[in-house]
Amino acid sequence: MENDIWGTVSLQDRDVHFIDIGDLRLWLKYKDSEIRIAYCYRDEARGEVDEQEPPKEVRWVRWAHKNGHDRVRILPAFADLPLIVQSEYSLKVSPHTTIQVFSRIPIWITIALAHDDYLLLELPAIKMSKTWFGTPIEGELCYHTMTKARRDLSKLKPEPYLVSCPITISNKSPGALDFESFCFRVERLGIYKHDGTLWADETQITYHGEEHHSDVIMTGKLPEGIDKQMQLTKPRKQIHASLTTRTFKRLFEDADILGS
Amino acid sequence: MEIFNIYNYVSEEVVFQFIRVVLIIAVTLPIVFILRNWARSFFTKKYSTHYGMLAGKVVFYSGMIILIITILGQMGISLAPLLAGAGIVGVALGFASQTSVSNIISGLFLIAEQPFKVDDIINVNGTIGIVMSIDVLSVKLRTFDNMFVRIPNEMIIKTEVINLTRFPIRRFNAKVSVAYREDIGKVREILMEVAQKNKYSLSEPEPQIIFEAFGTSSIDLDFRIWAQVNEWIHLKNTIQEEIKKRFDEEDIEIPFPHVSLYAGSESKPLPIEMVAKAENLRNEADEADN
Repeated sequence: MENDIWGTVSLQDRDVHFIDIGDLRLWLKYKDSEIRIAYCYRDEARGEVDEQEPPKEVRWVRWAHKNGHDRVRILPAFADLPLIVQSEYSLKVSPHTTIQVFSRIPIWITIALAHDDYLLLELPAIKMSKTWFGTPIEGELCYHTMTKARRDLSKLKPEPYLVSCPITISNKSPGALDFESFCFRVERLGIYKHDGTLWADETQITYHGEEHHSDVIMTGKLPEGIDKQMQLTKPRKQIHASLTTRTFKRLFEDADILGS
Repeated sequence: MEIFNIYNYVSEEVVFQFIRVVLIIAVTLPIVFILRNWARSFFTKKYSTHYGMLAGKVVFYSGMIILIITILGQMGISLAPLLAGAGIVGVALGFASQTSVSNIISGLFLIAEQPFKVDDIINVNGTIGIVMSIDVLSVKLRTFDNMFVRIPNEMIIKTEVINLTRFPIRRFNAKVSVAYREDIGKVREILMEVAQKNKYSLSEPEPQIIFEAFGTSSIDLDFRIWAQVNEWIHLKNTIQEEIKKRFDEEDIEIPFPHVSLYAGSESKPLPIEMVAKAENLRNEADEADN
């Protein structure tokens, strides 16, 4: 099923094009020279839904455009904000150690006109809660997601709504690194499809200790068996050679700020 | 018949002087307005509406001062005696326009201190509104029911001003009361779930539940949830509704104020004794009326 989701679809060829991915259900159709899209999440319309017609509570959104093009391009994308990825189980990395973990991140779905890539709609495959990365005085809005930070994904069933992100963590500090959560700037990653699984290019995090900023480098290095030809989606933002930013969270520890 | 000749009344020099002044005003004034609009839009685009407003005012007042000095020069009025007399006149004017001067100086302090900017939402003495402009004499607000409020600068300097949108995130404190019989642990779990599912609530800073008090009719909890400042009102609106819905689903009682009466022993009900049938009582009442 997942192989059929991504790519270009001609809506004129069928009555309704239905997509069921993650918690999201999408209905697309072409009528009266308009592209019509309806969507809902699993918690909004419980139980089985009719693939030909959305439930009554879901409304069609209509797009009218020049020349009445009916072909749309459906592609996966990373979230439009950075993610605070929280590890389900705390992982401690010893001093002067380098490890690789895999984080499976929920994707977004973009629907654009095929002929000019005009973006019609983009939606998360599963709803993610928002979170704040920073202090109450300044910071940035992010999405919050959980990860198991697995060392090996080979035994896992691929999920079409998750993209596997290899993350190399180097602890260059003399103390142990407590890998609990970090700010993942996914807008700098591309998405690749290999064997029905979505992959991102590698992220390298170098931790120098609490007193110093961590280096986050989107290396552009691809996981084994994947090449550039398999790219489905380009990064939302261009990859810079080096992105130095505060990555590990040491925030909100001061209860006096928040609790008063 | 004699033809009207202006030179019979005023000298040629005065007429030319007048024409020069009119020309200066006609040329300079539009330029000042154009420059003010340009400065306002340039700084608004580059920085914010607040700086756009300030830049516009600086350009406008500077232009007006230059224009007045030029006109006075054209009219042959020397600035030196004016400035010399300004001290005496200033004292007199100062006494006469104490309030206005105070407002002007307060306005300068407001601009320098920046307790709020244009487009911020502030609360001044209970009046809540969006700052439209910070002017020489007053601050103009638009309230949410679309009223125009003018607050003198002096008053703003003297009173407490709450800026509701200064920081990017804001906390909402929901007062939640549950019956004494409820399991507080379960209530906590439900509240955290509600916060987690609410689309405006932030995962971090983490929501907090503070045991507020043993109330007269209920256990009072303070449920603190954070949201982005521009979504705070949506959070306030949705989360309380969601709490009520979940409490109804989970059969958690939100008690209204009530009083329990005990007749000496808390285990026994109040003794009620029927002294007469209702019909007899009604007849007795009718007889008493007659």
